[in-house]
Amino acid sequence: MRLRAWAWLALSSLSLIPVAGATRPRYGGSITVDLSSTSGATILPLVEETLVRLNEKGEIDPLLATAWQFDPDKRRWRFSLRPKVFFHDGEPLNASHAAAALLPALRKKYADVNATAGGQTLVLQFDRAMPDLLTELASPHLALFRNDEKGTPVGTGPFRVTAWEPGRRIALAAFEEYWAGRPFLDSAVVNLGAARATGDIFDIPFSSARRVLPEHIRIWESPVHELIALVGDNANALAPAIDRTPIVNVLAQKKGEAAFGLLPQWLSGYAFLFAGPPSRLPSQLRAVSITLTYPASDGFARSIAERVALNARDAGITVQPTSNPGGALRLVRWTLESSDAAAELNRIGSLLGFPERALSAARPQELYEAERAMLDAHRILPILFLPDVYGIATRVHNWDAAQKSGGFSLHLENIWVEP
Amino acid sequence: MSFRAKIFLAITVTVVVAVWIVAGVVSTLVARSFERRDEQRTATLVAQFHAEFNRRSAEVARRLDAIASSDEIARMAVDLGSPQADPGKYYDQAQNLAREQSLDFLELVGPDASIISSAEWPARFGYKENWLLSFGDSKDVFLKREELADGAALGLIAVRAVSGQLYIAGGQKLDKQFLDTLPVVEGMRVELRTTIDSTTPSREITRSTPDATITSIPLFGREHQLLAVLLVENSRLELASLKRYIRDTALLVGSGAVLLGLLLSFWTASRVTRPLRELTSSVREVAEGKWDARAAVRSSDEVGQLARDFNRMTAQLVEQRDRMIQAERVAAWRELARRLAHELKNPLFPLQITIENLQRSRDTPQFEEVFRESTTTLLAELDNLKTIVGRFSDFSKMPAPELELTNLNQVVREVIKLFDAQIHAEGRPEAKVELALDENLAAIQADPEQIRRALRNLILNALDAMPAGGVLTVRTQNLDGKVALEISDSGAGLTPEECERLFTPYYTTKQHGTGLGLAIVQSVVSDHKGTITVHSEPGKGATFRIEFKA
Repeated sequence: MRLRAWAWLALSSLSLIPVAGATRPRYGGSITVDLSSTSGATILPLVEETLVRLNEKGEIDPLLATAWQFDPDKRRWRFSLRPKVFFHDGEPLNASHAAAALLPALRKKYADVNATAGGQTLVLQFDRAMPDLLTELASPHLALFRNDEKGTPVGTGPFRVTAWEPGRRIALAAFEEYWAGRPFLDSAVVNLGAARATGDIFDIPFSSARRVLPEHIRIWESPVHELIALVGDNANALAPAIDRTPIVNVLAQKKGEAAFGLLPQWLSGYAFLFAGPPSRLPSQLRAVSITLTYPASDGFARSIAERVALNARDAGITVQPTSNPGGALRLVRWTLESSDAAAELNRIGSLLGFPERALSAARPQELYEAERAMLDAHRILPILFLPDVYGIATRVHNWDAAQKSGGFSLHLENIWVEP
Repeated sequence: MSFRAKIFLAITVTVVVAVWIVAGVVSTLVARSFERRDEQRTATLVAQFHAEFNRRSAEVARRLDAIASSDEIARMAVDLGSPQADPGKYYDQAQNLAREQSLDFLELVGPDASIISSAEWPARFGYKENWLLSFGDSKDVFLKREELADGAALGLIAVRAVSGQLYIAGGQKLDKQFLDTLPVVEGMRVELRTTIDSTTPSREITRSTPDATITSIPLFGREHQLLAVLLVENSRLELASLKRYIRDTALLVGSGAVLLGLLLSFWTASRVTRPLRELTSSVREVAEGKWDARAAVRSSDEVGQLARDFNRMTAQLVEQRDRMIQAERVAAWRELARRLAHELKNPLFPLQITIENLQRSRDTPQFEEVFRESTTTLLAELDNLKTIVGRFSDFSKMPAPELELTNLNQVVREVIKLFDAQIHAEGRPEAKVELALDENLAAIQADPEQIRRALRNLILNALDAMPAGGVLTVRTQNLDGKVALEISDSGAGLTPEECERLFTPYYTTKQHGTGLGLAIVQSVVSDHKGTITVHSEPGKGATFRIEFKA
């Protein structure tokens, strides 16, 4: 009996060998990513990197800069660049490259910035205090890269661009000299605006998010990071008329969450405070016809706009959805770019025309008051937050862990695939 | 109106009226023909509409049956039947099925009439379609007005119920694309009007406008409610164009007729009225005294015959005139001879008696006395003969007038003054003289001596006509560019025959007149380019009226 038991155990162990082999990372292989949207920010971090990055907790992590110091008034910042970092064309990264890449972008916002480059040390000098400079430098818009003669971006990221068809297709190949080590994948092809999702990774429209998918596909959902809201004078006055629950449950197929504030609960921590009972509907709204403009060619936005119009009609308000610009109300889709609540609130505030304020995620009371002030201005009516929903082929491994690298971009550098 | 104008008017009116009648008749026939054609077209189109309607209905029914019997719907019905059913996950199911079956409308509705999924208005999930609860199991396809996010549309709708868990209501739009399948020929237009109000007709009617004939065909829903009107419009532009063409042609022909009438009238006039005008001219010449006038004979028709008769008539007139002149000349010579004989016989007889007395008394003692008396008588009678001869001589030697500016009133007064003694002679019955002279009388160019002579003759005649006294009236007056002089008496008057012959030389109504007085008056008046007329009736006196140019 013992012998038979050991024999059974031995056979079982043999049967587990291939399974264990499958879970072990392997180099090589290629994947195809089909994205319905054409947002470059989702892909470019694979090619271009920033000095620092925000992790999933919203904390600053080093990336191309390994260390930094600043003077007490935070006007002078000194960055030590990571050594042995190479651009995809083989040129080593130094402070001069960083200054050349950063200054034009920074000077669009801060005309007073100056840079001093020496070896691997970059000094940025401002005339004003820059307490949130690190958060800004984590933005994909301040990535270090340059364009080659064909206009193709050349960065320091884990993948280099081998083919670039703007708005349609990007072909990537593993960068062998990547400072953090070569990615597992040999190559990746990203199809933008793909009509059919046949790749290893593809985004799923919400209307199909609960459909029965093929067995080799699983669904992965990012944290909610896209705000859908109505913007315009007295937009908030429509709040009593809008029923967000059917929008979340049906239109978003339970993949999002109702939005009452500008930042999601996971980011601000206080979003639940805005979900109070709606105020009364202003009677003067019943006397006018309101045009609601939604983004053209966006079927999901159109469905939400039409649902809002239906809700409004039930309340006796005439709301006319249209894709033509110029409506009294706009349905906007704003994607969070970082996990820094203060930065995102300021960014949304600037989109609404509010002046930038000195906010810090470390002072949530200030954040709450600032957000409350924005909402009380009645220029925005949040409706729901949405995540990204992807279909992931089962041959793709380490996907969940890879996406925890921070930001809201696709992280392909740590995934590997079965042949 | 001239003969030419009459011919022109007759031809023009005849042709224009004929053209107008023809154009009117043709227009009416064309209009009726077009109306019949439009009716046929409309009937064909409506029949085709109903055929297409039925075909589409069958198609909708077939497609809806396919959906109702599909695996997706079967699974959905089963799933919805479970206690934990979540209808929300079928939110876009209707869109997918509608796309597969090419349906414009498709709603999947739960047993409580809540919309689970809507193809035509996806955002309307959760809303109620209560009309389905009372629909029953009918397989009919019917018209229904579907509310959409951007308005309303008319659809051919069918309903299927699946396992008591699901209603499937779907169909196709009845819109422009549907109408495009109809055989609309050029000049026709088909429109589906879905805006219904109180003025929308609920029965088929046809009305005409200047531009089109429009037939309205009402379309009803399942419960016979008016949902839309099919408008079939037949353009009348082609008819209007044809009518315009007919009118323009008629106008052209009419204008041509007017022109033709003008030409024909000229031609006819030249054929007919020219001989008549020539004949008229000849008649006028005859009237003016040119009796030998002739009309040209250009044809053998009635006008030519008229011209020939005219020529024969004038020839006869000339012949008669010549004979009359000859007769008058003979008569005048006879009268002259009679007058000469009469005038000469009076003195000759005393001469003869005196000479016979002389012869008888030659041997008598009284011879000397007789001789003396006889010679005295002979001389007196010879003087008388000389006087008679002198009168005739004077008449034959009327001189040409020596014109000068003459005041006729003054001449009248001078002449009247000459007769003053004679008028008031003792033993003569008194004749009253009345002068009615226009003091503003215009002066005339005249020979005052000849005028006096003529006036003397007239006054002498007037006094002779009133042996028992009466009233002599002399009147002058201004006329339009003329001056009139009238001498009237209240004597016995003249007969019309006497009036007619009064101015004939040597004609006289008096016992001892020479018949030259009035002839001399007429000669003087004629030499002054004037006219003299006499108006008289027996017993009512006579008035001689002379008119001179002022």
